[in-house]
Amino acid sequence: MRLSEAMVTAGRGLLPVWLLLFTLVPLLMVLAVSLLTRDETGFVTPVVTLENYRRLFDPVYLKVFTDSMAMAAFATLLCLGMAYPFAYLLSRIGSAWRGVLLTLVIVPFWTNSLIRIYAIRSLLAAKGAMNSLLLALGLIDEPVRLLYTGWAVGLGLVYVLLPFMILPLYSSFEKLDRRLIEAAADLYAGRWAIFRHVIVPLTAPGIAAGCLLVFLPALGLFYVTDVLGGARNLMVGALLKDQFLEASDWPFGSAASLIVIVWLFLMMGFYRRAQRWAGKGALDDV
Amino acid sequence: MSRSGRVYLWGVFAFLYLPIVLLLAYSFNESPYGSSWNRLGGEWYRRLADDPLLIEATLNSLKVALLSASLATVIGTAGAVGFSLYSFRGQTFFHGLLMITLMAPEIVMGVSLLVLFLALRIPLGSGSLLVAHITFCLPFVTVTVMSRLKDFDPRLIESARDLGASEAQAIGHVLLPLASPAILAGWLLSFTLSLDDVVVSFFVTGPDFEVLPLRIYSMVRMGIKPEVNALATLLFGLSLVMVILSQRLMARKG
Amino acid sequence: MRAAMLWIWLLASSICQAEPGEITFFNWSDYLPGEVLERFTRETGIRVRYSTYDSNEAMYAKLKLLSGKGYDLIVPSTYFIDRMRKEGLLHPLDRSQLPNFRFLDTRHLDKPFDPGNRYSVPYLWGTTGIALDTRHFSPDQVKAWADLWRPEFDGRLLLSNDVREVFHIGLRVLGYPGNSTDPEQIRQAYEKLRSLMPNVRVFNSDAPLMLYVTGEVDAGMTWSGNAYRTQQEVPSFVFVYPREGCGLWMDNLAIPSGASNPDGALLLINFLLRPDIARLIAEKTRYASPNAEAVRQLPAEIRDNSVMYPPPEVLANGEYSLDIGEAITVYAKYWERLKVGE
Repeated sequence: MRLSEAMVTAGRGLLPVWLLLFTLVPLLMVLAVSLLTRDETGFVTPVVTLENYRRLFDPVYLKVFTDSMAMAAFATLLCLGMAYPFAYLLSRIGSAWRGVLLTLVIVPFWTNSLIRIYAIRSLLAAKGAMNSLLLALGLIDEPVRLLYTGWAVGLGLVYVLLPFMILPLYSSFEKLDRRLIEAAADLYAGRWAIFRHVIVPLTAPGIAAGCLLVFLPALGLFYVTDVLGGARNLMVGALLKDQFLEASDWPFGSAASLIVIVWLFLMMGFYRRAQRWAGKGALDDV
Repeated sequence: MSRSGRVYLWGVFAFLYLPIVLLLAYSFNESPYGSSWNRLGGEWYRRLADDPLLIEATLNSLKVALLSASLATVIGTAGAVGFSLYSFRGQTFFHGLLMITLMAPEIVMGVSLLVLFLALRIPLGSGSLLVAHITFCLPFVTVTVMSRLKDFDPRLIESARDLGASEAQAIGHVLLPLASPAILAGWLLSFTLSLDDVVVSFFVTGPDFEVLPLRIYSMVRMGIKPEVNALATLLFGLSLVMVILSQRLMARKG
Repeated sequence: MRAAMLWIWLLASSICQAEPGEITFFNWSDYLPGEVLERFTRETGIRVRYSTYDSNEAMYAKLKLLSGKGYDLIVPSTYFIDRMRKEGLLHPLDRSQLPNFRFLDTRHLDKPFDPGNRYSVPYLWGTTGIALDTRHFSPDQVKAWADLWRPEFDGRLLLSNDVREVFHIGLRVLGYPGNSTDPEQIRQAYEKLRSLMPNVRVFNSDAPLMLYVTGEVDAGMTWSGNAYRTQQEVPSFVFVYPREGCGLWMDNLAIPSGASNPDGALLLINFLLRPDIARLIAEKTRYASPNAEAVRQLPAEIRDNSVMYPPPEVLANGEYSLDIGEAITVYAKYWERLKVGE
């Protein structure tokens, strides 16, 4: 009897201990390293400084952050714009087809994202399908330079992250009580008013969850900018990778990481506000 | 549904699938740069089978995925049970920690774990990779199981105990079976996430343990390699099978 | 339940580290024909784990991250050999285990970056010059690095993803030495390169050959071997030795000080120095081999090709990259600025 109780207690403790060891402690270490100084031969010397944070305010790095935020915001808004009507329409389909269509949405989500980026690159290449089509249609004489532009990176991000926006939104729409919409219509509310005052607030948790799940990864997916961006226009993901794996400037890299972590907390707060606004939570991950 | 609605749905699906379908088509085109369509065949698939580095990377990835999914499921389910059935001090704190792990961008996770491993002088290799994968899979399992357990009636446990069962037996024979679709779904999701991970693995793996996504990353950076088209097709097929499997499993026990 | 535990334990124990006797070889991408390692394994029975990098900096950082362990054989460029041997990161080579050393061309040996070749053995060498697709650009108009600044190259160029190579251009165009440590000269080079940025489409050292062949870029920097292979695929390409002087580089085989299998690495180095193997490498990669015997065995059309084996006046005008010590941080700072695209 006591052994089984002990087992249960131990089992319950596994997760908290793991999270402490491998989430909290590493983050605290990053914070600590960001306050230290780079060492020539090793990695850090125990000399406390705020220099790394001061460096972040250098216009070069500010530009890296603003560029990355802009790109992430662009990808997020595009995903939202595409996914919102899609999720709504999906939730209205009869249950027979809905299962199949949901599966069709999930399959790309479960396919290796590098493969999907590779597919985009193939599509946009000078000798790729897009250019071949345009040439065949006679719309252009020479291949258009589609790759290695900001647009290519944006497209890649949207392509990889779209299912992350669709699924929470769909979840929200599915839970939407249609009677609320009918009640509003009975009260002579116009379609736009219903949208603004009923549908949007009720799907707010889904919107917030979707934005969170797209915006933050968009900051860090360095392989997208690497494969589709041509190593121009340094972004946060590549900056972090460079600082840790090439320039070996760990304190500075840690300081930059902390900025991303702060953004994480801000957006989590934003998500909780949205939850309260709608009255309940909606982050039921698939 | 209105006509425009249907068109829109099809449009988005086309956007999602067109690039992949093109890869599929190209994988059977035997001309080297894919620009002409003279020969069709399975040449690139044959080359894949002959690539020992790729096979090794795939096996490594599968091993890590199986292990990390299983261990994450064990730890995550235990944690979910803990959160759902009991209340304890610091519960909100740990729940917050869980959410941070769930939503943190992979690059932050990769970087922080790298700092941890180096500070503790843990060598980078299969072990460090495994720990990292378990860490990012955990919250997905926990959240999935927890949402299933939300509807669970704790009185069932009490009745089991009244009938003489121990706490562990009550949980094992009453709770877990009811939660099993969620546990299974969590496992499948973890497996997929682990197989797919690029960013975290990039930071924490060692030179003698190559995993498939990183191998693909090298191949993709090296340029247009037709073998990658064949590999892409195979991976896509695998995802299809996994998704259908998971949907079936969820539906059956539901 | 118990079965699951057993299964997990079995699986865990099957994930093990590199088997004893294996050699871990870290090389530049696209720098070794696949069959070389296959032949090595067939002849010696030793397996080789092969992975690649696209810059010295990435290789160096990875090595430091692993505290000098994890790799048995690496291929740094001249200035990194210099730097790494001074930092004690390289294992001295036991020449008695390298009988094939005698086949090397003495003109490439005993250089200042590694006196007496105590730590390294030359692998391949070459030049960095300008690639040009004559279907789009006239070769008469492009004779110097300075010509890359011309407006017709707007958004068309490829540059190496290498801070020293790119700054070499900026410095030489201004008449400064490519290994300058003068912060003012470096700053001016940065300003000059900044004005080149609108012409640059992509930075790539991973697989620039692919970009030229598939038509993504039609002009820019290239290495001699790549240039030759590009010409074979797309005959309209020419390789131009710039007037200000091309870049010269040499990559060398070396053993990290923390290597777990230095004897295996020596075995592999000796294998790579064998004339027939060195010839195979030179033929497939199209870079110049420092192995005199291998070069002798090459077909005449390759040996006499000026792209792969440049004439003496080109060599005299060219410049190797040297270790510049602390000044690298100045370069790194400006390189980042260039990449951010201020």
